[in-house]
Amino acid sequence: MRQILKPFLLLLTLSSILFSCTKDETSVALPVTAITVSNLPADTVLGINAITGMPFSAGKYTFYSLERNAIVPSTDSASTKWDLAFAGSKILTNSGTSGNGLGGAFIYTGLFDNIKTISNDSVFKTDNAPASFAVTFGSGKGWYVYDQLTSLITPLAGRVLVIRTASGKYAKVEIINYYKGGVTLPITASDSDKLSKQRYYTFRYAYQPNGSKTF
Amino acid sequence: MKLRFLYFFVFAPICLFSQVRFVKDTIQSQGDSVVVTATRSERKLSNVTVPATIINAKSIQQIGALRLTDILKEQPGLSLTSGFGAGVQLQGLNPDYTIILINGEPLVGRTAGVLDLNRIALGNIKKIEIVKGPSSSLYGSEAMAGVINIITDATTKTPLQSSLRYGTYNTIDAGLNNTLASKSILYQGYYNYYSTDGYSIRPSTASRVTTPITRVATNQQFKYNLSNNTNVLVGLRFTNEQIKNELSVTNGGLTINSNGEEKNTDYNIASSLNHRFSNALKTSFRSYITQYNATQNLLTISGAPYTDILDHVFNRLENQTDWVVNKKLTAIVGGGAVMEGVKSSRYDSEKIRKTNTNQYAFSQWEWTPNAKLILIGGIRFDQNQTYASAWSPKASMLYKINKQHRIRLSIGQGFKAPDFRQLYLNFTNAAAGSYSVFGTAQAQKVIGQLNSLGQIGTLYNNFYQLKSLQPEYATGTHLTWEFEPNAKSFYSFQLFRNDIRNLIEVQQVGAYVTGAQIYSYLNIGRAFTTGIELEAKHQISKEFSVSAAYQYLETGDKDQLAQIKNGTVYTRDANGLSRKLNVSEYVGLPNNSTHKAQLKFNYSNQNGLFGNIRALYRSKWAVNNTNGNEVYDAGDSFAKGYIALHLSIGKDYMNGLGFQFGCDNMLNYIDALNLPNLPGRTFFATLKIQKSKKI
Repeated sequence: MRQILKPFLLLLTLSSILFSCTKDETSVALPVTAITVSNLPADTVLGINAITGMPFSAGKYTFYSLERNAIVPSTDSASTKWDLAFAGSKILTNSGTSGNGLGGAFIYTGLFDNIKTISNDSVFKTDNAPASFAVTFGSGKGWYVYDQLTSLITPLAGRVLVIRTASGKYAKVEIINYYKGGVTLPITASDSDKLSKQRYYTFRYAYQPNGSKTF
Repeated sequence: MKLRFLYFFVFAPICLFSQVRFVKDTIQSQGDSVVVTATRSERKLSNVTVPATIINAKSIQQIGALRLTDILKEQPGLSLTSGFGAGVQLQGLNPDYTIILINGEPLVGRTAGVLDLNRIALGNIKKIEIVKGPSSSLYGSEAMAGVINIITDATTKTPLQSSLRYGTYNTIDAGLNNTLASKSILYQGYYNYYSTDGYSIRPSTASRVTTPITRVATNQQFKYNLSNNTNVLVGLRFTNEQIKNELSVTNGGLTINSNGEEKNTDYNIASSLNHRFSNALKTSFRSYITQYNATQNLLTISGAPYTDILDHVFNRLENQTDWVVNKKLTAIVGGGAVMEGVKSSRYDSEKIRKTNTNQYAFSQWEWTPNAKLILIGGIRFDQNQTYASAWSPKASMLYKINKQHRIRLSIGQGFKAPDFRQLYLNFTNAAAGSYSVFGTAQAQKVIGQLNSLGQIGTLYNNFYQLKSLQPEYATGTHLTWEFEPNAKSFYSFQLFRNDIRNLIEVQQVGAYVTGAQIYSYLNIGRAFTTGIELEAKHQISKEFSVSAAYQYLETGDKDQLAQIKNGTVYTRDANGLSRKLNVSEYVGLPNNSTHKAQLKFNYSNQNGLFGNIRALYRSKWAVNNTNGNEVYDAGDSFAKGYIALHLSIGKDYMNGLGFQFGCDNMLNYIDALNLPNLPGRTFFATLKIQKSKKI
């Protein structure tokens, strides 16, 4: 049903915000190091519609490659170059209705460091729009809670997204923050701040390039 | 104009004051006060077996309290909550769990479980009795944390009194009290008018925290002595509130401005026929009819009208017979029937009244084996049309070690019946994501219908567990040691613990195809509150007295605590990375302060001059879950602890004239977000005229 995501032009400036890390290519036995990605914009709010009063955005996903630790241009949305795609609080995997890749995911309750090996009986879900997604949508169901009183989104502590990448390798991801600068706004923040500073992901991940389920 | 009026009242010191009752001042050496709430019969406070407090008219007047909230917020162990009106939290339990009685009859009309205590004017109140601990064995549902019984005096003569008060925010309160008496008939009338402009303590906002309100209340009481042994009491009470709202609701960036009017009316008719067969046997037939009607009309700027109504009727017939079996044994036997009904626009149809009936019987036995010991056992059974029946036992004792030391111990079970909202709510919030909440009585049917229309996306497992709700239960234990070394000093030390089970909580049971949530109610929670209460009172001299109180409180959700102990609850470290939450970081239930303290100085002399200064402290309390787990812990948002300081001085003249002047919140403490009911510093002045001291 859902169309493969439409391409869009990526702002060059975005890449400057991102961290990059040197990867260890030599030994497969060494544990993979965790990489932190900060301020990844995910369909940020562009303004408020004067007529409806509702906030609007471009409606575009930000595609990300865990293997290369980089944003993938949306022109490559139909490829297996990306592993995760972010728009607002939605996270897609390159699987099922979202992409052609071998992707998939499940949400693990526990600590990032405690996932040493993905057990063989773990079931990776794939995206099946609009009914279900590998990374479940919704407050309290997937990786975050939304507070209707404060209008703030807080990533749930102790949730790890265990990811199968587009190329069938494995990674684990912990979402740390949803707001610009990696700091959740105080509940007293203005509505305009709550809108303009949301949809900036800070997360850490570990990617196992050798195809094993061990980190 | 307004300013000059204010000047006249605030600065002209001649005009200040209160009331002319030269009651002898003892340290509330609780000795001779009579309390009825503890046992449903008149007992000296020093002879009751449960923790009970009496607030008399004099202390209400001397602090300048107008509404029930004003006096309750200064009681040890109690704190006020905001949201859906001002409710009272008793020993850590929410407002839902404390029954509010007027002359022994319950007030109805709760919104989201909260009965707005601002509805009750204090002008003609003789005393307020507070009993802590589950008291369902006498009062049934809602008496789980305790009982607050407001007693208006229908049996004694009081002189013609009138009072006029003016205060900050154009707050006006006028009251008139009168008694007419003949040999067989006694009539008391009370009229009260209250209005305020409301206030806003948030800068740069049009909406007021307290909106312009006008309240009128009247209370008419008749006592007719048919004979020496038989009398009829009839009490009529009527209150009306008009509230103007300018609301500004922002949701998802969309701000809706609306203005509207809220009208709440409340009447009660309580009548009783009381007959004394002999000194050992008396009986009382009581009938009680009450109705609470709240209508909210909102008109948004865009012109879309919105009306919300709530209409609650509660009718009760009851008999209570008191029997003195012998010198050592007395008994109370009673029973009754309640017919109750609610109409609400938040149910499936606002035209159909949802009804419920309840029959109950209770008995209490009081045994005094010797002069030192009183033992009480009681039990009540409530049978119900719409939810499971409930047994409420209670046992308590008083042991007078000697003239100076007393020990009270009580253990009881209380319950709160599922309310109409939990049974029948049918509410979809179009403004906030179109989520729905369905009461348990109808949830399966309504959701089933939606499902057949193809509107339901997912149903959770707990949807299939939705069945008739059980009452919520609490078991409470209170142990009190009282020490009265002499007539001038009083100390009390109390340990309490309440264990609550079957808590009714809102749970998501499914989702629409659109993803919007569907909620209903389930009996799932288990919680506890436990703590210590200390009180000390001392009469320093004839004129000066001081009192101090402190409460230490611990609360918790037992299931959450178990999860934390199992290591399955997480929080974030300074870098935002997840880690396990320690039990020591858990802070328990929200809106509860660990420490509460108060210190009051009182002055009162023979010439009618009085004054008091009261300091109330509350330590920080959790208000919001902000660190990404579903429990309240040290990393969440807290409201800061604060001190509120209040002052009142006045003089009552022998000729019936009285003045009072007061300043509330002298330190001007403001927390707009967490304490919307605490305006900044406010002033008031009262003029009181009383016909004569005696009739």
